[in-house]
Amino acid sequence: MITRYIIKKLILLVPLLLGITFVSFALLKALPGDIALSLAGERADQETIESIRKELGADKGVLNQYAGYLNMLAHGDFGRSYYTNRDVLTDITLKFPNTMELAFAAMALAIPLGIIMGYAAAYKSGGPAEKIIDGLSLAGLSLPVFWSAIIIMIIFSLWLRLFPPSGTGNIRFLILPACTLSIPAAATLVRVTRTAVADVLGMPFITTAIAKGLPLRRIHIHHVLKNAIIPVVTIIGLDFGSYLNGAVVTETIFGWDGVGRFTMEGIIRRDYPVIMGCIIAGTVVFVIVNLFIDVLYHYLDPRIRLHGKER
Amino acid sequence: MHVWRKLRFCLSIGMVHLFCLPALLAGCSSSNRIDGFFYCRLNANPSTLDPALITDVAGASVAAKLFNGLVRLNDNMSVSPDIAERWQISGDGLRYIFFLRRQVRFSNDREVRARDFKASFERVLNPRTKSPNVWIFDKVEGAEAYRKGLAGDVAGFLVIDDYTFGIKLKSPFSPFLSILTTTPAYVVPADELSRSGNDFLTSASGAGGTGPFRLKSWMPDRELVLERKENYFDGRAKISGIVYKMIPEDLTAVTEFELGNLDVISLPAQAYSKFRNDKKWSSRIISIKGLNTYYLGMNTSRPPFDNVKTREAVACAIDTKKILRTFYENRGRPAAGPVPDLLRRWEINPDLNNIYIFDPQKSGEIIKSEGLSGMRVSLYITADQDVVDLAEIIQSYLSKAGIEVVIRQLEWNAFKEAVNRGEPDLFWLSWWADYPDPEDFLFPLFHSSNIGPAGNKTRYCNKAVDELIERGQFSLNKRDRNRYYKQAEELIIKDVPWVSFWHKTDFLIKQPWVKEYKVYPIYTMDKGTEIILGSAKT
Repeated sequence: MITRYIIKKLILLVPLLLGITFVSFALLKALPGDIALSLAGERADQETIESIRKELGADKGVLNQYAGYLNMLAHGDFGRSYYTNRDVLTDITLKFPNTMELAFAAMALAIPLGIIMGYAAAYKSGGPAEKIIDGLSLAGLSLPVFWSAIIIMIIFSLWLRLFPPSGTGNIRFLILPACTLSIPAAATLVRVTRTAVADVLGMPFITTAIAKGLPLRRIHIHHVLKNAIIPVVTIIGLDFGSYLNGAVVTETIFGWDGVGRFTMEGIIRRDYPVIMGCIIAGTVVFVIVNLFIDVLYHYLDPRIRLHGKER
Repeated sequence: MHVWRKLRFCLSIGMVHLFCLPALLAGCSSSNRIDGFFYCRLNANPSTLDPALITDVAGASVAAKLFNGLVRLNDNMSVSPDIAERWQISGDGLRYIFFLRRQVRFSNDREVRARDFKASFERVLNPRTKSPNVWIFDKVEGAEAYRKGLAGDVAGFLVIDDYTFGIKLKSPFSPFLSILTTTPAYVVPADELSRSGNDFLTSASGAGGTGPFRLKSWMPDRELVLERKENYFDGRAKISGIVYKMIPEDLTAVTEFELGNLDVISLPAQAYSKFRNDKKWSSRIISIKGLNTYYLGMNTSRPPFDNVKTREAVACAIDTKKILRTFYENRGRPAAGPVPDLLRRWEINPDLNNIYIFDPQKSGEIIKSEGLSGMRVSLYITADQDVVDLAEIIQSYLSKAGIEVVIRQLEWNAFKEAVNRGEPDLFWLSWWADYPDPEDFLFPLFHSSNIGPAGNKTRYCNKAVDELIERGQFSLNKRDRNRYYKQAEELIIKDVPWVSFWHKTDFLIKQPWVKEYKVYPIYTMDKGTEIILGSAKT
C-alpha cells in the first residue's frame, strides 16, 4: 500500500516538474535585462552581442527555447553555466552534500531544543518558564538570519576565537552556520509544540489516563507527545525541505559552499541554466522530503490513511 | 512533578551540550595556513582562468600570476618588456616587430615560440572560442576576414622566426602597445591546447602558463591555490604560493582578516572608518589611486538633456566635492573631467572648471530661463546600497534646483539593458581602465560609433570630438596625441554629457607580518613576485 502511494507520488512529480519548469522559465524570460550584454563584456559591439544571443538560443521564441530546454532535460542534461561553462548538474551534485550536512546539523540542534522547550512551556503554562520560553521563541522568530549570523560570528569567531568565520569543511566550519540556521527553526518548533501539547493536555482522555493512575511518564510520552507530534513533524518537514534547498543568507555569510549560495550567485548573474537546475533539484528534494513525512504520518498516527480510503 | 523534573533535566543536558560544544571543539580551531603562502580574498569565484575568455577582475587578477604577454606595464604604467625583450615599430606605425626572450617556458617546460603568440591571438579572434575580448585585435590586418571565416589565419600576425613575432595593423593605432598588456593578449600553449582542449589552461594538471605561479588546486567557490614556479624567467617569487579564499561577504572577510587568516584585504566602505581610526591598524592601510571615473550620465539624445544648458544646470546643482568629503569619506579624488588624473598629461583650461563648481543659484536661473521648473526626470541606478544612498543625495540637490528626480533601482542586467537602450534621463555609472591610456576613457565613452553597449551610454555625439579622438589614435607623436586628447576632453567638459564625480581610491589593509606588498592601479601589473612575508608567517 505504501509502495503504491510512493510510486503514485513519484509519478505525479513529472507533471509537477513540467509545471514548475514552465512557470520558472517563462518568469525568467519575462524579466527585464539581457544576459548577452553581461556575457559580452563592457566593450562589445552589436555583432558580438547578437552572436552570443544566437549561441544561447535567445534569438528564438520563448516556447522554442523551453522545448529545447525540455529536450536537454530529457537527456539528463541540465546545461552548462553561462559564466563558468561548468556542468550545472555536476555542480549541484557537488554542492548538495554540503547543504544536506548543514540542514541535518541545523535540524539536529533545532528539533530537541524546540520540542523540549515547547513541551515545557505547555506543561508549565502560566508560570515564569512559559513566559521566558515564549520570549525566547519570539526573539528567535523575529531576529533576521543575516543579523544573528553576524552576531554569532563576532562572538564565537572574533571574540572567543572558537570557530572559523567562513569556509566549508569539517565540523569546525559547520557549527556556526548550523547554530544560526537552527534559531528560527527551533523557535517555530517551540510555538507549534507548545500549542499542540497544550491542546492534547486539555483532552478528556488525558484526564482519564491520570484518573486511571497511569504513570506520568507513560502519559506524557505515549499519550500526549504521540498525539501532539503530527503538527510538529509537519513543521520539521517543511523546515528541513526548505534548508535542503539551501539557506541562501547563511551559506553566503559563512561562505558555505552549498546549493543556496550557488542559487544566489546564479540569480545575481542571471545564469539561467544554474537557476533552472537549482529550481528543479529543489522541487525534487521538497517532494521527496514531503513524501517521507507523509509516510511518517502513517506510522505515527495509523488513523491517517495514505491512499485516502476508509478502513 | 516527577516528569517536569525529568524534562528540566533533559533541558539542562541540552543547554550544557549547546554551550560546552564550542569549548570541546576549541582545541581544534587552530588555523590551517600553509607556511610561506600568501592568503588573500576573492569576493567571487573566477568565471574562468582562460585569458581569451576572462572579463571579470577576479579571473584577470589570478591570470596575471599565471600568464605573460609580449609586453607588460611597469611601475610608472609605461609599457615595458615581458616575453618580448625589445620591439620595433615601423615609421608609419603599422608594423610591430617583437623579439622574444629565450628560455621562457610554459608550466610543462616547453619553450615559448613566436607561433604560440600567433595561435594564442588567433584563438581570441576565432568565433569558436566565443571570446568577448575580440575588440583588442580589431585593428589588426586580416582580423575581420578571419573572424568571418574568409581566411584560414590572420594575415597581420606574422611568425618571422621562432623568436621574432610581427603584428601588422590596418591603420596606425597609438594605444596598441598598451592594449597588448591586457589579459586576452597573454600567450597560451597552442600545441597542448589543440591536443588537450581548453581544460589544459584551467585544470591544475594542465595549468600551462608562463607566469611566476602555476595552478595547484581550484575548488570552485572555496579556494584557489597557486604555487611558485622555480624557473620563472623574470625572477622567482619570494613567497611559496598564493591562496585565494572565496569569501562573498565583506564582513566575513574583515573577520577573517582580524583573525589573521588573510594577509591583505581590500577595505570595504563600511569597515574603512573603523580601521582608519584604530591606531593599531591605521598605519597598515595602503591606498592606491584607481584608474576610474564615477559619473552621473545624462541622456543627450532626447529632451530635457539634449540641451547643453540643462546639463550644465545639473552639473552646477550638485556639490560633488562635499559629497566626496562627507558621504564618500574622501575615498577618492575630485574629477575635473572624464580622464583620470593619473593619465592626464595636460592642464585643463581653468575657465572650464567653473562648469563643475557648485552654484545652486546659477543652476536655478538656468532651469527658470529654460522654462524647465518642476520638470520630472528619471535616475536609473543599480541595487547596491551605497549607490542608493548616493542617488538620494543627488535627488535632494536636484530637487533644490527645481528638478524632480524619480529614482529607479534595477538589478544589474536590467539596468545595463535600460541604459544601453537610452531609457533613463540620468544614470549612475563608473568606467575602469583596461589599459593606462586616455584613449580608453575617450574613445569608448564619447565616440559616436560606440553609442549603446560599446560604452557611449550618454549617446553623446560631437563630430569634432570624434575627429580629435581619431587623430589621437592615429598619431604616433606623444605630444600631438596629448594635444588632441586635451582638446577632445575640453570639448566634452564644455558639452557636459555627464557630471564627473570622482576617481575612486582603493584602500587595502595588510597584516604586520607582510613585509613587502605593492598595490597597482591595474590588476594586470600585479605578478605577485614582490610579496615578502615576515618570519611570523613564512
